[in-house]
Amino acid sequence: MNYREAIPLEQQVLSVLALGTFLLWVFHLVRTQRLSLRDSLLWVVTTLVAAVFAVFPPVLFWLSKLLGFRTPSNALFGGAVLYLTLNVLYNTVSGSLSAARVRRLTQECAMLRAEIEAMRRDRSRPGAAT
Amino acid sequence: MRVLAIVPAFNEERSLAAVVAAIRQARPGVDVCVVDDGSTDGTAAVARSLGVVLLSNAINLGIGGAVQVGYLWARDHGYDAAVQVDGDGQHDTSFLGALLEPLASGRADLVVGSRFAGDHADGFRSTWLRRMGIRYLCGVLAIRCGARVSDPTSGFRAASRTAIELFAESYPSDYPEPESIAVAARQGLRVVEVPVRMRQRAHGASSITPLRTLYYLVKVTFALALLPNPSPVRPSEGAEVHR
Repeated sequence: MNYREAIPLEQQVLSVLALGTFLLWVFHLVRTQRLSLRDSLLWVVTTLVAAVFAVFPPVLFWLSKLLGFRTPSNALFGGAVLYLTLNVLYNTVSGSLSAARVRRLTQECAMLRAEIEAMRRDRSRPGAAT
Repeated sequence: MRVLAIVPAFNEERSLAAVVAAIRQARPGVDVCVVDDGSTDGTAAVARSLGVVLLSNAINLGIGGAVQVGYLWARDHGYDAAVQVDGDGQHDTSFLGALLEPLASGRADLVVGSRFAGDHADGFRSTWLRRMGIRYLCGVLAIRCGARVSDPTSGFRAASRTAIELFAESYPSDYPEPESIAVAARQGLRVVEVPVRMRQRAHGASSITPLRTLYYLVKVTFALALLPNPSPVRPSEGAEVHR
């Protein structure tokens, strides 16, 4: 199949530029410590996979045929939706985990504060051992 | 038996003093701990002036997270039993003895005060619609974990050392009352109920609206259906006795 009919060169260039910019942005976020290196790996890998499709469209064509999609664009959209859904689920899970941790830390702080207040009261009591 | 009264309070500056006084009058030997769940009014100041243990959550965690701090405190300070009394004054403290009796005699691990058991028909029993919701929850609880209680949403309850250790480890978060009964029952704890009377709250508005009631029922049903597997109760390591 001739993929040049499906993807003009301009689009290929545009895709690569967009993906490159995105990748640089992710690197910037890591360098300014707004995104952890661990969490950035997912985005780096995703961008690279997308870049492979953009630079070598036959890979996408072959893959969509293998999976039985009628057109490669359907394979791309289907894959993207599935991937994004999993991504959001993963984010919700880590949100729940964070909430549980905040809860536990808040409780620990409350108990520590009560302990400190009790100690202060003991020390300020007249005749307390110094 | 060393008993800790856990009083969860969220903006209850007006009723807190009376609640603590009532607890002390009903059971003079009981230690009182007030959990201020991120109140924006003078709840913390009132609690300090009363000379109780004050556990202040910097962030509002909701009733589940608030009560659990109390259980953590009870566990770490070696209490034999803990009793929950709401800071809004709904719970009639003259029933504290009745709540604690099954624990003292060793025939229960969790004692739930019920508005519908016995014949205290004169007390506050909520609206018809909410009573229907409560009956539905009773059914779900009985099917799910075999717990036979008539007032699963009651927050007026007493817990043994075993239950304290369980709840310190795992206590459900936002609508915890029915779920915590299920957690205890599935862990093999003995759940019993005793008749109590409740009052309509003296100050402030109830947090319950019709839409929230529906959300509550759906959420609790879901929570009961998806209970986590029972975990082995570990005896608390290094439980220190405070003073």
